Amino acid sequence: MTDSSTPTSKSVPAPTWRRFVPPLLAASLVAVLGVALLSPARNNTDGGPLIGKPAPAFALKTLDGSTLSLASLKGRPVVVNFWASWCAPCREEAPLFRELSTRQTAGTGLAVVGVLFQETSEKSARDFIREYALAYPNLQDPGIKTGINYGVSGIPETVFIDASGMVKHMDRGGLTRERLNVGLEKIGVKGI
Amino acid sequence: MGGRRWDVGRALALAFALGASALAAAPLTPQQEAQVRQIAVNIRCPICTGVPITESTNDISREMLRDVREQVAAGRSARDVYAYFSARYGNFVLLDPPKEGSNLLLWGAPLAALGGGGAVLWLFLRRRQNAAAPAPLTEAAADEPFDPFLAQVRRDLGQSSTDRSNPGRNGGNP
Repeated sequence: MTDSSTPTSKSVPAPTWRRFVPPLLAASLVAVLGVALLSPARNNTDGGPLIGKPAPAFALKTLDGSTLSLASLKGRPVVVNFWASWCAPCREEAPLFRELSTRQTAGTGLAVVGVLFQETSEKSARDFIREYALAYPNLQDPGIKTGINYGVSGIPETVFIDASGMVKHMDRGGLTRERLNVGLEKIGVKGI
Repeated sequence: MGGRRWDVGRALALAFALGASALAAAPLTPQQEAQVRQIAVNIRCPICTGVPITESTNDISREMLRDVREQVAAGRSARDVYAYFSARYGNFVLLDPPKEGSNLLLWGAPLAALGGGGAVLWLFLRRRQNAAAPAPLTEAAADEPFDPFLAQVRRDLGQSSTDRSNPGRNGGNP
């Protein structure tokens, strides 16, 4: 710094590439930060550790008192929706599930199943089902065993299971038609 | 009257049965109880914000705590319990995720950067010290043939030793 003759002396073989190192480092840092900021991967509502794994089994009582197990739906694509009557986004997506429930067919067709999550009032749940005319079984999950097995961290949460029993897609938060269709496509069901 | 007594009896029996089942569900030794605490304090309540299941009173935290208790009673280790929950919720559920796999990068990168930066700084300082040590001015003066223009530039910049030893024009002028 105090002596300008040092850089010009012949001991430094004029490494031009070194002049580009600091700007390149800075540029790459900015690029990494930019990518991290702009990519919404972490805020995605889908994904999770269960994707590509066999769907956790369950055998639960429906609100009607009969028992339904996931195993009994083997061979059919299944949409499992975790919900509760107190959950506002569940209410918003309910018409979509009403529409989806009309697409269910026996045999190897689509099956829709609701699972109650931290439902505080069975009566409210029944009212909800009546209000939106949900034509599919809704299961009680005492002890939230099934909720925990599916890693439910808030409702609504929807799991798309293909005919071979594999979890293909999960979506958290109230569904839109587009997001529902993304999941349906992944389990080989035509969108609504 | 008899009916009511029967009701009371049934209620007592029910209470006893519930108490018994609660006891049966948690036959943990104080050590196991401490282990449950130690494990559960690192498990996030999935529907809260950054609160462990030991501090949350909602249903799912209670059930998860019960799960931990059952697993500890079954002799499973903390590692097993964490694996169980992260298989369902991802590492998100752990308040202190294990320092392994890609997490190691997170922990290692700052240390590596500190080490690398320190090494670069050390090299830089050493090189500067070496360069400064062997009296570069005399060396430069000895190596270079006398150049009046260079001497002029050095004088003007006020950096030459000749300039310092001889205040000359720059030093003389106010």
